[in-house]
Amino acid sequence: MSLLTVEGVSISFGGLKAVQDFRLSLEPNSLCGLIGPNGAGKTTAFNLLTGVYRPDRGRITLGGRNLAGLRPHQITAAGVARTFQNIRLFPDLSVLDNVKIAGHLRSDAGLFGSIFRARRQRGEERAMTERAMELLAIFNLDGRAGEQARSLPYGDQRRLEIARALATEPRLLLLDEPAAGMNPQEKKGLRELIRGLIRRFDVAVLLIEHDMGVVMDLCQRITVLDHGVIIAEGPPAAIQKDPKVIAAYLGKPAEGEKGEG
Amino acid sequence: MDPFRRRTLELSPSRLVAAARSVLPFIAVLGVALGVHALLYRWQIDDGGVFFYSKILMDIGISIILAVSLTMVNGFTGQFSIGHAGFMAVGAYTGGVVTYYGAMKLFDPANFAAGYLSRSLPMDGPLFGAADGLFLAACLAAGLLAAGLGYLVGLPSLRLRGDYLAIVTLGFGEIVRVIIERSRNVLPDAEAAAKVPAAALPLHVGGASGFTGLQPFTSPFWVILLAGLTVVFAWRLKYSSLGRAMISIREDEIASQSMGVHVTRLKVMAFVVAAFFAGVAGCLYAHQTGIQLTPKDLAFQKSFDIVIMVVLGGMGSISGAVLAAAFVTALPEWLREPTSVWMYGLIALCVVAVFADRRLRAALWVVGLTAGAELLLTVARRAGIELSQYRMIIYALMLILVMIIRPQGLLGLNEVWEIGPFRRLRRTPVAPARGAAAPAGPGGSP
Amino acid sequence: MIALLASSWLNTDPTVFVETLLNGLAVGSVYALIALGYTMVYGILKFINFAHSDVVTWGAWVSFTIAAAVAAAIGWTFTGGAARPAPLWLGPTLLVCTMLVCGAIGFAIERLAYKPLRSAPRLNVLITAIGVSLLLQNVGQLQFSFLPGWLKFPFGTQPQSFPQLLPAEPLATVIGVKLYWIDLIGFGTAVSLMVALEWLVYHTKTGRMMRAVSYDVRTAALMGIPVDRIISFTFVLGSMLAAAAGLLYVTKYPGNLLQTADTTWVLLGLKAFVAAVVGGIGNIRGAMLGGFLIGLIELFGARYLDPGLRDVYVFSILILVLLFKPTGLLGSTVREKV
Repeated sequence: MSLLTVEGVSISFGGLKAVQDFRLSLEPNSLCGLIGPNGAGKTTAFNLLTGVYRPDRGRITLGGRNLAGLRPHQITAAGVARTFQNIRLFPDLSVLDNVKIAGHLRSDAGLFGSIFRARRQRGEERAMTERAMELLAIFNLDGRAGEQARSLPYGDQRRLEIARALATEPRLLLLDEPAAGMNPQEKKGLRELIRGLIRRFDVAVLLIEHDMGVVMDLCQRITVLDHGVIIAEGPPAAIQKDPKVIAAYLGKPAEGEKGEG
Repeated sequence: MDPFRRRTLELSPSRLVAAARSVLPFIAVLGVALGVHALLYRWQIDDGGVFFYSKILMDIGISIILAVSLTMVNGFTGQFSIGHAGFMAVGAYTGGVVTYYGAMKLFDPANFAAGYLSRSLPMDGPLFGAADGLFLAACLAAGLLAAGLGYLVGLPSLRLRGDYLAIVTLGFGEIVRVIIERSRNVLPDAEAAAKVPAAALPLHVGGASGFTGLQPFTSPFWVILLAGLTVVFAWRLKYSSLGRAMISIREDEIASQSMGVHVTRLKVMAFVVAAFFAGVAGCLYAHQTGIQLTPKDLAFQKSFDIVIMVVLGGMGSISGAVLAAAFVTALPEWLREPTSVWMYGLIALCVVAVFADRRLRAALWVVGLTAGAELLLTVARRAGIELSQYRMIIYALMLILVMIIRPQGLLGLNEVWEIGPFRRLRRTPVAPARGAAAPAGPGGSP
Repeated sequence: MIALLASSWLNTDPTVFVETLLNGLAVGSVYALIALGYTMVYGILKFINFAHSDVVTWGAWVSFTIAAAVAAAIGWTFTGGAARPAPLWLGPTLLVCTMLVCGAIGFAIERLAYKPLRSAPRLNVLITAIGVSLLLQNVGQLQFSFLPGWLKFPFGTQPQSFPQLLPAEPLATVIGVKLYWIDLIGFGTAVSLMVALEWLVYHTKTGRMMRAVSYDVRTAALMGIPVDRIISFTFVLGSMLAAAAGLLYVTKYPGNLLQTADTTWVLLGLKAFVAAVVGGIGNIRGAMLGGFLIGLIELFGARYLDPGLRDVYVFSILILVLLFKPTGLLGSTVREKV
């Protein structure tokens, strides 16, 4: 029984068919990749999965529950968390508070509970802090818990974003170019980190990444998008040899010269 | 966690302590309000001059309610409402109708009197009058109606982009003004009021010329109590998981919803709560001594005053909003008869010497600003220019300069005690489980 | 709208209907001129230039001050019992001078207040715009007691009546409908300015650069377009149209040239903004369409429903548009990049 099933999802903006007939199937605790040249529709696919965009057509189910048409916060509550291509932390909040935002999702604190700071709320708050600190410790960020998120170095910001996403207790984690802007050593660390996550947090990971080293090393299966259409799907070894993928990345000699790029 | 657990009412000591901690600030506010009221009340018997200060105190208190409540919208959730005075107007007129016509319909007007709590001037009368209860009810009604309208205005517009909200709220304020201006004359007495059905009474609130005959129920007690409650409310909200979620919306709306925050719901919630407090402030405003309640005084200029307070204080800083409200309210009084600023400069210098992060720079700023202000004052005095005429120009320039030099407002999201050495005290992480041995990224470790 | 028009047509005298229509078009053309300024700035910088309505106010007051100066110079009285009609050349002269002065004001506002915030969050720019608006309003309230007579109250410390630039008598009466000079000239001026703008934006190189900047500032800069100059130019253009609108507005309603800090001006600006939103903000043709539409709705509502609620109609339209077609009639969807 697969965790996530996506069938025939399409969206177009104006006349532009951004993503067409997108399909995907993810097992629990699996690690899959979504690749493709720039502008292929990868991030749009993520936005469809997380409810930022509403698909024109198609079904998205997570553990049997239909997600298509739900709003982003509902989808997060259902168990899909994500990071963003251009980091979107809460810059003025502390590192700890960034992670603790997730606590709001599982809390039933209403306005009056918060204002009168009922005992339940206080206990809840303490639990949230403890959990957030545990998470930060896993990501080696606990030493910086009190700092503003904007003051973190780039690599730490990337990792904080992952930690923050995990704090929502997802079953599926979507990572949008987690290795972008990292140096080789950091990338190596990231690879270990992602592998560790799957077991430790019992999540499946879907990954957009341009660094083929990272993708080929990590992913069990890879989906390749080009111009919004899936052009290949399979294990890394097969993808590497697929002529359509090679053409999409390098351009077919004849077409490339016609000035497509 | 366990849904089948029976809920029993147990009064264990720890539960009592927790309950006490929950309500302690509210009781403290009540105590302070009573205390200050008692002091002022006593003084006024001996010295009528105190009246002036208690008037400024009440003005500041009302401004604090307005500024702090708008902080919840503009500061926490990062929306931009510039029609706060519209809700204030709704509250003012609702409160006015409740006390004015309520007294006529419910009580015998001859025996209707304010007691100790609703007096800003010493008079003979009972310790607690019927008016005290009615005034509290009026404040509540004012807040609730304003909140209801806040919901109606907020729900459609909050789904849209931020700057549309600004226009819609401004338009809302103007519509409120236009509608009030079209109302009929106030009914002069109980006899006339008896002939009009209760539901039609709000049609008689005086139109453009104003609601006359409102009693001066607003006393230091009510103002301090309600301002204090507003501050405690905002305070606890800011440091709860709900408030944190609201602030995350301001920080990054898209990231916020992807963290599971129900963005629309929280935006509307903040908006409604803020409207409630603005309504309460309006009720206090309407029942001040010497106020002629006219719709024109609660037009968009008033909204802009409140926005100025929020922006100057720092978007999201409660103490900042309180300080800015006091400053913006007191400045015109001071400008009417400006005194030398050296003393204020000296105080600021002391504060800077103790608290500032970069002391020398800050001290130079303080000295420079003081000298500049003093120079300006001298020039103005010599040339015979009335400075109070320039009040709004000063605010406008401050607004523009603050946006260019320090866009987050004077305090930003911080509270006063979160800057300077207190910050260093507070910054210690909650539970440093292990040493801070983070193999950070390039140029990472501090 | 159509139902409203139809019912008003059926219920009353057709000449009243036609007169309301003409009036609505005249007022609508003023709204359209102001809306163009909002929409052009929004198109490029994506923020509501709150100070725009104050430029309109200043346009009205600058023309009053110039008219007063001219009156002093040529010994012409325009107030009281001895008032004489204005010389014919005064109107066009005022228009040109006011547009130049307000263009300069627009330029200064952009350079001093908005340019330092080019990369700041939108909210900050919005707050600055409110600051600029307050500044313009209140500078207008100042008295300059040390200046000579006609300059002492240059911008509205107290309400004034505007000199009569055009004859008050109807120009002609066609089948019972009175045609007034002001409506005709006002409408004509506004429409020719709009045609000029349309030509400028869609048929000149500068216009193409403006459109490029509005499409994507950064890419435009990379393509070698002098972005700062184009933005300044846009502000100047918008402010000039605002000045013309201010002058036309007081020529139509010469009795009440109100103080700069009066609500009426803000309402005027707000209605024009509503017009821009209704037409689709960022869209130049939309702003024109919206302006006329709002003018018609307001005047027909005031004539046939309840004159006291004319502002309420306009804002109800705003709410309706925001609810059902937030992009406006001619606007296109803009999505935030995630």
